[in-house]
Amino acid sequence: MGTGTPANKSEERAQRKPSLPFLAPVHSLLAGWIGLVLWLLLLLLLALYPYTGVSSVALFVGSQIFVLVTLASNWNLIGGMTGYVDFGHAVFFGIGAYIMGILVTGAPLLISPEWGFWQALPASGVAAALFALLVGLPTLRLKGPYFSIAMLGTLVAMREIARVLRPFTGGGVGLNLPPILNRLGDYYLMLAVMGLVVSLIWWIQRSQFGQSLIAIREDEIGAEMRGINTTLHKIAAFMIAAFFTGIVGGFWAWQNTYIDPDVVFVEARTVEMVMMSMLGGLGTVWGPPLGAVVIYYLQDLLWANLYDRHLLALGVLLVAIVLFMPEGILGTLGDRSSTSLGRLLSRVGRSK
Amino acid sequence: MRLILKLASLLLVASLVLAACSLAPPAPVDEPAVAASAADEEKIIYLGAAVSETGKFSREGKDTRQGYGLWLDWVNNEYGGIKVGDDRYKVELIMYDDEGDPDTAARLVEKLINEDRVDFLLGPYSSFLTQSASAIAEKYGKIMIEGNGAAEPLFQRGFQNLFAVLTPAINYTRSALQLLAERGAKTVVIAYEDTAFPTSVADGAQHWAAEYGLEVLGVETYPVNVADVSGIMSKFKELEPDIFVGGGHFNDAVLFIRAAKELDFNPKAMVITVGPSNPKLIEEVGVDTEYVIGPTQWEASMSYADGYFGTAAEYAERYEKMWGEPPTYQAAESTATALALHIAIEQAASLDTAAVRTALRNLDVVTFYGPINFDEKGRNAGKPMGAIQIQDGEILVVAPTNAAVTELNYPAPPWKDR
Repeated sequence: MGTGTPANKSEERAQRKPSLPFLAPVHSLLAGWIGLVLWLLLLLLLALYPYTGVSSVALFVGSQIFVLVTLASNWNLIGGMTGYVDFGHAVFFGIGAYIMGILVTGAPLLISPEWGFWQALPASGVAAALFALLVGLPTLRLKGPYFSIAMLGTLVAMREIARVLRPFTGGGVGLNLPPILNRLGDYYLMLAVMGLVVSLIWWIQRSQFGQSLIAIREDEIGAEMRGINTTLHKIAAFMIAAFFTGIVGGFWAWQNTYIDPDVVFVEARTVEMVMMSMLGGLGTVWGPPLGAVVIYYLQDLLWANLYDRHLLALGVLLVAIVLFMPEGILGTLGDRSSTSLGRLLSRVGRSK
Repeated sequence: MRLILKLASLLLVASLVLAACSLAPPAPVDEPAVAASAADEEKIIYLGAAVSETGKFSREGKDTRQGYGLWLDWVNNEYGGIKVGDDRYKVELIMYDDEGDPDTAARLVEKLINEDRVDFLLGPYSSFLTQSASAIAEKYGKIMIEGNGAAEPLFQRGFQNLFAVLTPAINYTRSALQLLAERGAKTVVIAYEDTAFPTSVADGAQHWAAEYGLEVLGVETYPVNVADVSGIMSKFKELEPDIFVGGGHFNDAVLFIRAAKELDFNPKAMVITVGPSNPKLIEEVGVDTEYVIGPTQWEASMSYADGYFGTAAEYAERYEKMWGEPPTYQAAESTATALALHIAIEQAASLDTAAVRTALRNLDVVTFYGPINFDEKGRNAGKPMGAIQIQDGEILVVAPTNAAVTELNYPAPPWKDR
């Protein structure tokens, strides 16, 4: 949350000639109540946005961005705050999507009558959370890269299982959902989900629960010694992240009207979540949402200008983030001395 | 005190958010942004398409774009614009790159309909992207005519605005199986990739096998991007079928042929989708492709013709002149897609969606690409699927009889006698 303790050198430097003096206080303010108030104000503006007479395309773009923000924030809860880098988080998206698909079509399971969207949506989240409990119990015991690889394996395994369980999932042919599209409804639904998730993360970060998660990230054995029930905390964080990812997956299946194993259980979606969180600032509240918005527009920009090299460009960007600003945009702005780009910025500011 | 203030302001903002949400917001404004431009001197029909230029369908997307592009160039510069009653309309085609990504494709189709205000939509490449794109077109009541999505589920959703000029996947193996049954084949085995399009092909193969009195000895599926099919092939070897049907993509054709030779599996005919009609298969596998049969939507050697592009061969010549490479069938069906819409608009003598939809439903024409006649689900029921066989390193049409250029070689000799 706070700005951390700046190194003495950079403190001196900041006192001598602060290049962008408003940044550090802004960073710390955002982590507090003011951040939440600003966030709610932003939500209010976004809620009013459709009144300005925008086209359905703008609403659709809006709901797509809300989806990305929600996914990135969810990933950040387990990957950033708890420090368990989940390379298979898209598995919860896929499970949510499939639960939605199976319940609303009803056909593969011969459920009669078919469920409505509003009944199936919470079920998507619950199913994903239960699945998180199931895989979390064994995998969250693993540390570091072992957990990442186990989750990646889970994702690939679920994709194959979805392919094999043809009577339920339609196999590789996939499922066609009823083509009912409502861009305005989608916009408000995803705005609400995003608002809820980000506010929840803000609250978690300030709560004892969140502090315990951070303690687990910094020193799991130490946290355990101090009486934190680490297993319970990790599972809880994992299930919360999975629940909302499942909700988003269910929503996505509904608005895309078509799912198959290769379109919902896809590694690229996890990579996207990781990139957004890292670009914005791992473990911060506002970093992942910021990263999601930046990446969304950056992708558009790269695609528009680089055609078939946009994936290369994104890859280079990811490497650059890791090398030059491992703490993301917010981390770099908040405590510049900790990253090479931040130091570079300070140097440039000083030489002016 | 400060805490109370904070909480109060928080509650205020939260309630404002809730209030904003609970008010009924106006429907999205989908009015034409440039309605005034209707007063233009020149009359223009706007068409839109989101087709892959990048991503996993970039290769086929390019063929699709070139197919549309050929028709566009011809209709504006040579034909003089689409005739609507007494007027001539120029055509403007707005094309975007969907990147092979369903989210992007959906956004672009939404944009084409509600921001660019196109009159009609042309389809993307692949059944996969057509699934979500056609749902959006249906929602807004826009006609989407396509030539690159053949999977059966597309046509089982009761859509009124989706039309496809290509032969549906269930009919892919029909001509080949009919011909083989006539030549004395009795039994068949089927292997297919577990995705939408090959599944439809295989379901169709079982249906037509029963229709022509062929006994289905075995059916196997395999996952997408399979690396080895020898397990399936050795199982089939024991069944000793007359016909092997393989449904998948280009690389699967390579695997099937190689595994059959390695295992000395000797069906009297191998019918494989997608691969054989592509000259690259002969380059890659060589002489072992002899006798292999493949369904094809279209070949330049077919004997179809129309009053627009002339014969299939003339179309191919025109295409090669414009793009510097011979047309694939994906390109030809894309041109035919646009042409079918063109003919329907002229027959309707109107740009009104309902009138054009009726004209499309009643359409019954023969084009360079073959007959076009849509059934009530929007599939082209009029066009039979062709079949080619590789003979002496050449891809030659053997079915249907009115388009065939040579006789089918049947049965294929066992591998050891070649």
